[in-house]
Amino acid sequence: MTSVNRLPHYLPATLFISLTALLLAACSQPEPLHRTQLLTLGTLVNISIWDENEERAENAVHRVEHSLTEIHRRWHAWQESDLTQLNRDLSNGKTTVLPDDATALLKKAADLALRSEHLFNPAIGQLINLWGFHSDERLDGPPPSSADIQALIKTKPLMTDLNFNVDGINSSNPAVQLDLGGFAKGYAVDLAIAELRADGIENAIVNAGGDLRAIGRHGDRAWRIGIRHPQQAGIIASLETVGDESVFTSGNYERFFTYEDKRYHHIIDPRSGYPADQTLSVTVLHDNAATADAAATALFVAGPQHWQAIARQMGIKHVMLIDNDMKIQITRTMAERVHFEKEPEKKQTVTLIDL
Amino acid sequence: MITRADIFAIAFAILLLPSLYINLWGEAAAGDSAAILIGGEEYLRVSLTEDQTITIPGKLGDSIIEIHNNSIRFVSSPCRGKQCVHSGWLKEGGEFAACLPNRISVAVSRADMRYDTINF
Repeated sequence: MTSVNRLPHYLPATLFISLTALLLAACSQPEPLHRTQLLTLGTLVNISIWDENEERAENAVHRVEHSLTEIHRRWHAWQESDLTQLNRDLSNGKTTVLPDDATALLKKAADLALRSEHLFNPAIGQLINLWGFHSDERLDGPPPSSADIQALIKTKPLMTDLNFNVDGINSSNPAVQLDLGGFAKGYAVDLAIAELRADGIENAIVNAGGDLRAIGRHGDRAWRIGIRHPQQAGIIASLETVGDESVFTSGNYERFFTYEDKRYHHIIDPRSGYPADQTLSVTVLHDNAATADAAATALFVAGPQHWQAIARQMGIKHVMLIDNDMKIQITRTMAERVHFEKEPEKKQTVTLIDL
Repeated sequence: MITRADIFAIAFAILLLPSLYINLWGEAAAGDSAAILIGGEEYLRVSLTEDQTITIPGKLGDSIIEIHNNSIRFVSSPCRGKQCVHSGWLKEGGEFAACLPNRISVAVSRADMRYDTINF
């Protein structure tokens, strides 16, 4: 009591005012987080930028929007585009001169297709079209006939049929029709991140319709990514990105139609001509978005029994595959990064895989 | 004994209350919400704590959006593919869904954003 009495009588008031002022200052400082939504690439693109300079962030987003719209215009698989013109030339046996960036994009797609044993196969545009997925809106209705599917399978279009010559690109197989779904989005995300960096942005996420690449951090912590549950609302797992990483998921719940109570989704197995039917989702973590995009598709098609060999060939180390029974296979390196948000249910098992 | 400094401190605290209320409670209340966008521009922000069904006019027609149990979803839309409806209930901050043909999208935000973005 004696010591308290010795304190200056105005000290409690001064302390109170100082602490309150500090609290107020903390509350009123907005985070330098800029969130933008763009309707482009045939999807919704969310861009998050952590940067003190608002004008720089806004200008960077405008440039990214312009570039993504340009990619959409050039590489659209069914609306008139550079790609539809290229496809006409390929089927007519013509040689087409392409800009360097387009050639590089197709070479990369061809390389990934080869390493995936053509389970990622952007040459099956005719098959995708036959299934009705060359449309913004596939109506519920009957699937294509088995005879039509088999007829296309027999033509065996592969990316290795493409010839990259000094005078342009052509195909030794007229059945090759390019559809860069499962790759172009990753390529676009990579380009968007490169543009943000060129504008001096070091901390950002570009999320194109659920697939994303994150660079840097959210202030003093890492970016936190939630991975959506493939069968119910909410999040099944989460991870924090480190430095520069892409997170891509291929799932059977994204685009589908229903006919006579059976669901047909958009990830077609190039070997059978039918939707790959053993897997609910595959999530891939990789530093390059285009590679992650192609790998997620290829591993989904490979399915629960065979994805490991394909992942090795494609150089993919971080994978989580959920099969039709909600059994989870996850690489050890991915498991070290992922936090499951709920305890797995009884029927679920989580198997660790060493690649 | 109440000193002049004590009176000053109490008066100052009372004056701060409205500001503290807006900063602490106001932000939290606005946090559990969803933005409904038309053509990428915010058209409406709705609280997720109040169950309701909303009709949003889009390019093709009306999209029906339901809020229930702190979640939001597309119930129907004049598009043919129904990808927006297939997206189901959205409840985590950062989740989003879009009806591209109707140019309407929905994005959830929470006062406590557990995730910066959602992968699917």
